Amino acid sequence: MPTSTVNQTRPTSTAAAVQARDVVRTYGRGDATVRALAGATVSLPAGRFTAIMGPSGSGKSTLMHALAGLDTIDAGQILLGDTDLGQLTERQRTLLRRDRIGFVFQSFNLVPTLTARENILLPLTLAGCRPDPERLDRLIATLGLAERLRHRPTELSGGQQQRVAVARALITQPEIVFADEPTGNLDSQAAEALLGFLRQAVDEFGQTIVMVTHDPHAAAYADRVVFLADGRIDGELDAPTAPAILSRMARLAAPVTTGAN
Amino acid sequence: MWRLTLRSTLARRARLALTLLAVVLGVTFATGGLVLTDTSTRLLDDQFRTATAGVDLTVRDAVAFDSAMGVEVTRDPLPADLSARIAAVSGVADARPAVRGQGLLEVAGKPVVPSGASLLASWLPAPMGSFNIRRGRPPAADDEVVLDEDTARGQHVRLGDTVTVRATENARLRVVGLAGFGDRGGLPNSTVALVTLPSAQRLLRLGAGVSEVAVVAAPGVAPEQLRDRITAAVGADYEVSASRDIAAAGAAAARDQISWLQLVLLALAGAALLVGAFLIANTFAIVVTQRTRELALLRAAGATGGQVLRSVLGEALLVGLTASAAGLVLGVAAATGIRNLASAFGVPLPEGELVLTARTVLVAFAIGVLVTVGSAVGPARRAAAVAPVAALREAAAARTGRVRVVAGALAAATGLAATVAVLAADAPVPLLGLAALGAVGGLALLGPALTPTLVRLVGRPLAAAGVTGQLATDSAARTPRRTAATALALALGLALISFMAVLGSSVNSSVRQSYREVITADHMVESARNEMLGGLNPVVYEQVSRLPEVAVASRLRYGHWRDGAMTQALTGVDPATLARVTNLHFTAGNLAALNGGGIVLAEHVARDRGLSVGDELPMTFSRTGTQRLTVVGLLRNGDARALSTDYLISLDTFARNYSEEMDASVLIRTDGGTDRAAAERAIRAALADTPTAELRDQAAAVASRTQMIDQVLGLVTVLLMLAVLIALLGITNTLALSITERTAEIGLLRAVGMTRRQLGWMIRAEAVLVAALASVLGIVLGVGFAAATVRALGRDAPTVLAVPTGRLLVVLAVALAAGLLAGLLPARRAARLDVLAAIGTL
Repeated sequence: MPTSTVNQTRPTSTAAAVQARDVVRTYGRGDATVRALAGATVSLPAGRFTAIMGPSGSGKSTLMHALAGLDTIDAGQILLGDTDLGQLTERQRTLLRRDRIGFVFQSFNLVPTLTARENILLPLTLAGCRPDPERLDRLIATLGLAERLRHRPTELSGGQQQRVAVARALITQPEIVFADEPTGNLDSQAAEALLGFLRQAVDEFGQTIVMVTHDPHAAAYADRVVFLADGRIDGELDAPTAPAILSRMARLAAPVTTGAN
Repeated sequence: MWRLTLRSTLARRARLALTLLAVVLGVTFATGGLVLTDTSTRLLDDQFRTATAGVDLTVRDAVAFDSAMGVEVTRDPLPADLSARIAAVSGVADARPAVRGQGLLEVAGKPVVPSGASLLASWLPAPMGSFNIRRGRPPAADDEVVLDEDTARGQHVRLGDTVTVRATENARLRVVGLAGFGDRGGLPNSTVALVTLPSAQRLLRLGAGVSEVAVVAAPGVAPEQLRDRITAAVGADYEVSASRDIAAAGAAAARDQISWLQLVLLALAGAALLVGAFLIANTFAIVVTQRTRELALLRAAGATGGQVLRSVLGEALLVGLTASAAGLVLGVAAATGIRNLASAFGVPLPEGELVLTARTVLVAFAIGVLVTVGSAVGPARRAAAVAPVAALREAAAARTGRVRVVAGALAAATGLAATVAVLAADAPVPLLGLAALGAVGGLALLGPALTPTLVRLVGRPLAAAGVTGQLATDSAARTPRRTAATALALALGLALISFMAVLGSSVNSSVRQSYREVITADHMVESARNEMLGGLNPVVYEQVSRLPEVAVASRLRYGHWRDGAMTQALTGVDPATLARVTNLHFTAGNLAALNGGGIVLAEHVARDRGLSVGDELPMTFSRTGTQRLTVVGLLRNGDARALSTDYLISLDTFARNYSEEMDASVLIRTDGGTDRAAAERAIRAALADTPTAELRDQAAAVASRTQMIDQVLGLVTVLLMLAVLIALLGITNTLALSITERTAEIGLLRAVGMTRRQLGWMIRAEAVLVAALASVLGIVLGVGFAAATVRALGRDAPTVLAVPTGRLLVVLAVALAAGLLAGLLPARRAARLDVLAAIGTL
C-alpha cells in the first residue's frame, strides 16, 4: 500500500465541501404533492467521511441528489465549494458532475459494454482527458483490481464491480464523492472491504465522501452521521458507533419526538 | 388472457406504432397494385365492350393470331363488294363497312401526341357505331371530321375549327361535331378522329378497301348460327367473329401491355413486406426480452407456456389486423398516386373510378396478418419458453445457436454454388435468383454471428473518434441479432437499388458500345413516340432517300411472329443498303443471301435452337400462317443487339408475310461532300409533313435506346425507396426500443458526466453505424449479383460490367444521411431522459 500524504491543494478539514441552505424539494402537484425536502440546512466538511441516515421517505436520497447536482431544487441554496448549483444550466451541472463529483450507486454502476479499465476511465474519456498513470496505478493497486482490468462487468463479482465503481468515482480527483447505498447489494464480507476502501480514501488521500445508507454498521465507518427526518436535518452524530446510531435511529422512527436542531 | 393481451398491446402502442407502419406500407403497395390493375382491367373491358356493343358479328381478313405483345396485328383490307355480299346473307339485318387506322391529329400547326393511340375511323351511326354525337352533327362531307370531346376540350378545339389529320395521306378537315364514347368523353389517353368512309379510305390509302364489316343479326337469329352462314358465303379467307370475343381479345391485348406493372408493384410489395417481416420479428423479439420479467411473473402466477405463446401471437394478430385495415385504405388512396407516378415515367394507365374487389380486401388482410403473425412466431416461442424463475434473474445475453450457424452457412454455400454454376458451368441464368435467395437467407441466419465483427470493422472510424463512438459501436455489437435484423432489412432495399443501378448502367453502356461499333450511319429517323413497331410513316423513307444530301438511306421494319406459344420480334432489312450504313460481322453466311427469302439469326439464338446455315426455322406469321424459312447466315451477338433484333429477313420477305406499312427506323449516311448542318436542315425539311418523325444523330439514337431502361430503372428505384424508408423506420424503431432497454445505463452515463450532446451523438452514431453496415452489405450484395448477372447475360450478347460509382456513392451518402435522420428522434428521446428517473429504473 502506497504511503502518500494528504494532497496539499485540498481545503483544510474544517472547510465545508458542500452546503445546503433551507433546501425545499417537492414532487407532484395538488393533493399528490410530496415535500421530500422541507427546508434542509446542512454543511458537510471537506476531507471527511459523512453518512446521511434516516428512515424511508425521510428525503436522504433526495438530499444527496440535490447536493450532487443530479436534481434541481425548488427553494434554498446549494453551494459546492463556492459554486451555487442553482445558478448552473443543465449542461454546466453535467460538466460539474463530470469534473468535480464522483458517484457510487447501489447497483448498475458500470457500463456493460466497457471493460473494467474503460469503466474506471469513463469520466476522463468523456471529458477528453488523459488519466494520470500514477494515480490510476495506485487506485488499481489499492482496490486490488490489477488482475481484473480487461474484464467486462458481467465477468466480475458484485464486490469487484463496486470497487471498479469506486475507482471510477476517485479517478478524476473529485472534490466530493457521493455514494448511494453502495453496500446495499453486497454480502457482508464484500461490504466490509468496500467500506474499508472508502475509509482509506478519506484517511490517506483526504477525499471527501458523502454516503447515504440505512445500515448503522456501514454508517459507523463515517466520521460523522447526519440524520434526516421528514425532509429536515434531525441532528448529527460525530465519531459514531453502531449502537449509538441504532438508538438514534430508533428515536427517529418514533414520530412523536422530532428533535429540533 | 385475451383481455390481458389487448391491454398489453394498447399499453405498448407507441412501441408498436413503427412496426405497424412497416406492415401498413407493405399492404399499401399490394393493395395499390391490385386496385390499380383491377381498375385498369375494368376500364379496358368496359371500353372494348362499349366499342362492340351495337354489333353482333365482325368480318375481317383471316389471320393466324390477332395480337402480339399487346399490339393488334394489321390485317389486309377487305374488298369493297364484301359488305354487299354479307348483307345478302339471310338473317343479316344490317352489314356496314368500316375503316380503322392511325391518324395523327394536328391542331393549330402543332401535332397532338397522346400517350395512347391516335385513332382514325370511319363514322358509323349508333347503334352500330360506338361513338355518340354530343355536340354538332356527324361528318357528312369528305372534308368534315368529328373529334372526341376530351381531346377537343384539352386542345381548345371548337365546332367550325379546322384541324389536320396525318395518316398515310394528310388532310385539313373542318370539325363539325364532338363525340363521346359510352358515358365518357372519349378513349383514355387517345385522340379520336371520325370521318366519312371515303375520306378514311383516302387518308389511309385503302382505295375501295375497308378494314372490317360490322354485322347486326335480324331479330330471332342466333349470332352463332349467322356466323356459320356468313362464313359459308364469304369463304375461309375471311374471319367472322362474335363481337363479344373481339372485345375480350382486345381487352386482353391491352391488359398485356400493363401486366408487367402489376408484376413490378407486387414484387415491390413483396420486398416491402420482407423488409417489414424483419422489423416485426425484431420488434417482438425486443418487446419479449423487455417483458421477460412480466412474462415470468405470469408464468409464476400459473399461466401455461401455451397461454403466453397465444398472448404474444394475439398481440401480433391485433397489430396485423390494424395494419392491414390501414394499409387497405392507404392503398386505395395510393393507387391514384402510383398511376400518376407511372404516367410521369412514361407508362400511361387508363383513368377512371377505382375498383376495390373482395379479393383485394382478402389479399390485404391475408398478407398483413400472415406476415405479422408469422414474424412473431419466433419471439412468441421464446416468450413461451421463459421460465418462472427468470423473474428473479438477470437476463443472460443470447448466443447464436449452432443450428442457426450451420443452416446459415448451408444457405450461403447454396447461393455461392448456384452463382458459380451459372458463371462457370453455363447453368441457366434464373438460377441466379436461387443464388440471391440463398445469399439473403444465409445472411439472415448468419447475421447475428457475423454482426459483432462487422460492426467493429465498420465502426472503427467511429470508435477512434472517442468514447461516445466506441459506446455506440459496442451497443450495436452487443445485440447482434437485433442489429443484424435491422441492418439486413435496410441492406435488402439497398441491394435491390444497387443491383438495378449496376445492371442498368452495364446494359446501357454495352448497348451504347455495340451500337457505336456496328452502326456506321451518321443519322437516323425514328418516331418520337417509341411505338412497339416503330410507327414511322413510310413516306419518310421515300422523301429522305430522294434528297441529294443523302448518300444512302436504309429502312428497318419490325414484325411479330409466333414461335409456338411465344411471341418473337424480327426485323425486315434491305440487304442492298444495310451493308452501307452498318458494319455487320457474320460468323456464317452473309447479308446478301437474305434476298433468297431466308433468315439470318443472331449467334446465340442459333446456338440455343441448335440451328446452322441451311437448316429451316418454322415461323408462324399472322397473315400467312406457318412458313419455314431457311437459315442463310449467323450474325455476331453484339451486332444483333445493335440492330435490336435476333432475327433478320429481307424487306421482300417481310412484305410477303406482313400487312404492316410502318417503318421502325431509317438509317442515313449523308453525302461526304455535304456540310453536316446543311444535310440536317434538308432532312428536317423533308420531315415537315410527318411531325412525329425525329432526326437523330448517333448520340440521340443511343439515348433513345437506353432511355427505356433508364425510365423503368427510375420508376423501380423510386418505388424501392419506399422499402428503404420502411427499413429506416426500422432503425428508428429498434433504437427507440433499445433506449428503453438501456435507460439505466444512459442514466449512469449522464450521472458520471456525459453531456446531452454527447449522448445524442452516441445514439445518432449508432443509427449511422447500422446504416453503414447495411450500406456495405447491400451494395456489396447488389453489385455482386449485378456482376454475376452481367457475366451471365454476356453469353447472349457481349455485356461489360459498368459500375456507376457516382450513383452508388449517392446511394451510400443517402443511406448514411437517412440513418442519421433515423437516429434523430431516439437521440432526442434519450437526451431528454431525466437522469434521476433513468437511474431509478432498476
